[in-house]
Amino acid sequence: MSPVATTTARHTPTVPPAGSAAHQRRDRPARHRSESKAGYVFLTPWLLGLVTITAVPMLMSLYLSFTNYDVLSDWESMEWVGLDNYRTMFTEDPSFWHAVKTTLVFALVATPLKLAAALGVAVLLNKGFKAAGLFRGLFYLPSLLGGSVALAIVWVNMFNRDGAFNSFLSWFGIEGKAWVNDPDFALGTLILLAVWQFGAPMVIFLAGLKQVPNELYEAASVDGASPVRKFISITLPMLSPVIFFNLVLETINGFQGFTSAFVLSNGTGGPVDSTLMYTLHLYIKGWNEYQMGYASAMAWVFLLAIGLVTAVVFRTGKFWVHYSDGED
Amino acid sequence: MTASHPLPRRRVLSGLVAAMVALPLALGACSSEDKPAADGKVELSFFWWGGEARAQITEQALALYTSKHPNVTFKKTWQANQGYFDKLATLTAGNDAPDIFQIDDNFLAEYATRNVTADLAEYSKSGKIDTSKFPKGLIEYGTVDGKLAGLAFGENTQGLVYNKTKLEAAGVALPTTGQSWEDHIAWAKDAAAKTKVAGTMDPSADYKAFWVWLRQQGKELYNGKELGFTQADVQAWFELWKGARDAKATPTPDVIHEGNATDVTKQLVVTGKALTSWVWANQLPELQKNTKDQLGVIAYPGDASKQWPRASMYFSVYRGSKNKDVAADVLNFLANDPEAGKILGTDRGLPSNTDIRTQVAASTDNASMKETIKVTGELAKNFGPAPTVPPKGHSTVRSELIKAAEEAQYGRATPAQAAEQFFAASQAAISR
Repeated sequence: MSPVATTTARHTPTVPPAGSAAHQRRDRPARHRSESKAGYVFLTPWLLGLVTITAVPMLMSLYLSFTNYDVLSDWESMEWVGLDNYRTMFTEDPSFWHAVKTTLVFALVATPLKLAAALGVAVLLNKGFKAAGLFRGLFYLPSLLGGSVALAIVWVNMFNRDGAFNSFLSWFGIEGKAWVNDPDFALGTLILLAVWQFGAPMVIFLAGLKQVPNELYEAASVDGASPVRKFISITLPMLSPVIFFNLVLETINGFQGFTSAFVLSNGTGGPVDSTLMYTLHLYIKGWNEYQMGYASAMAWVFLLAIGLVTAVVFRTGKFWVHYSDGED
Repeated sequence: MTASHPLPRRRVLSGLVAAMVALPLALGACSSEDKPAADGKVELSFFWWGGEARAQITEQALALYTSKHPNVTFKKTWQANQGYFDKLATLTAGNDAPDIFQIDDNFLAEYATRNVTADLAEYSKSGKIDTSKFPKGLIEYGTVDGKLAGLAFGENTQGLVYNKTKLEAAGVALPTTGQSWEDHIAWAKDAAAKTKVAGTMDPSADYKAFWVWLRQQGKELYNGKELGFTQADVQAWFELWKGARDAKATPTPDVIHEGNATDVTKQLVVTGKALTSWVWANQLPELQKNTKDQLGVIAYPGDASKQWPRASMYFSVYRGSKNKDVAADVLNFLANDPEAGKILGTDRGLPSNTDIRTQVAASTDNASMKETIKVTGELAKNFGPAPTVPPKGHSTVRSELIKAAEEAQYGRATPAQAAEQFFAASQAAISR
């Protein structure tokens, strides 16, 4: 009420000060409209992007998921198939379940390891020794390269039979395997690649660690608490909102892993389907087999599944995330 | 994909970028309608995959056409093989496929059965595209459902490339065309023992080797839109190569897996990890570029007359093109004009027009190209009828064969189990 009134007064000195109530009522909504109009004008670029390259294609893919759309044929020959794609997925496509399993293994192993590595290194860097800044930069570097193809290619060559990793092992007289070409180890090398890129959550952890009040540690020291005890009773609870944030993001990232698996297997998911992630299977269905309707259905199941997992993580958050400005 | 934490500011920026990208797209969509120009000027879009060298000669050949027909110009687009078919599919989905595009037998039926390609049979019959100098099998191998879906642009046939240098150094006899499969494996075992290099790449995951072997058993990979073999055939094939692996005639499974990639540079005969690779005969010059060792080429084992002239690739015309007649004339020019033939050489395979092929063979000073043309020519004399173009679902059958064969190679499945898996999966892929 009052802010609007004051702005009106401030910006319209020419309006008679003793304007009638009726005049003001007409005046105010009009101003409101023009202000919100300006707001929308500023929003347009973003809104346009949201609608044209996110919302419309998403809705489109929802529609396509109920059809037998095959990319190449005329639109007219596309048929509505109801829930067939969804039914096929759950009952007739063994590769689907294999891909689900592969993705779960990848996400459930890589995410905790990555977060643990990020937290561990962040705690060490937080000790504030001389070259901490340099190390922070170095550790952060790999995650800047993110899902880059170049990085995946380097990784694959490093873990080949005659790659750098095996040369390293040979110094100790160990004969390495052809890690990336062995169905027992290929997924493992991808997990390692994901874990190695712990820089982004590490930087966030580091910022969180700097927020923990030093008095708490001092008080604990006075009480004679060991470093481990301090970590468990002070650092972890104080950091829990940051851990939660990282956990949500990295879980979602983990499920979406694609680039490295694509590069390692040349887009096939091999050797012997060992790197057939969900997203890769979706890609193969859509772009190699031209079952785009089916691929769209897979995408929507994926969206719902990630939503579900995120919701579960949020639910559990109640029990272990402490906000220091809250009641506890 | 991984580890990017969107900041609000970045999202605003990406929104802006999106709008900047989307606006011209939206505006452009209104003006992209093809209108046949009144002044007779025609611009054809032309799309192919390949490397720098292919791009240069293709552009030269097209420029030659333009110099003879000044009213026709080209909008040329090319890229690496990886992602090419994603792009082509996307363009097709938007009813915006190029007037002329390069395609191969993995995808020809996918596109032809979905009515994307124009039927070139009319042009071929009327002589507007002169195919009289083409080997007959090459035209058959471009025909899908009675329609000429693509004009074969280059011929090749299966070729077993071997490492001459290493074999001669170790005093092993060179392999010859006409050896039986068992003889070949025995030869490879002996060669491996003498050279300390795996004797032969294990081709059990390779559809073209499987196909030749099937034809020698009186079977086919496909009969029309059905599989041309039984589960027992697959099992026999897998067992043949399990025997070879047990006899140490082949490399280890992880090396075989490397060799199963299709890139020329990863073939084991080039990387020095095996004495032979199972490729297409016209790939010899390209393979030779990647190794210092001297290479040679022969036919696959068994009865070589069961091999066939396979179109290494095709040019197809988009059914929705506004200038199909001009496009057909361009294809005719590229395939039959001696000058264009000289420019294009054997880059896309041996020229389909046999006169041009002879001319190219006479004028080249590349020894491995000469050998390829000679060997292919000798084999071609005995070729029987060509099979039909692989049907829709072929690329899935190929990848399923790799998967099943590798299961057997890594010892995760017996040949019988792998055969059962492959047979079921390929049946599903074909009947889709």
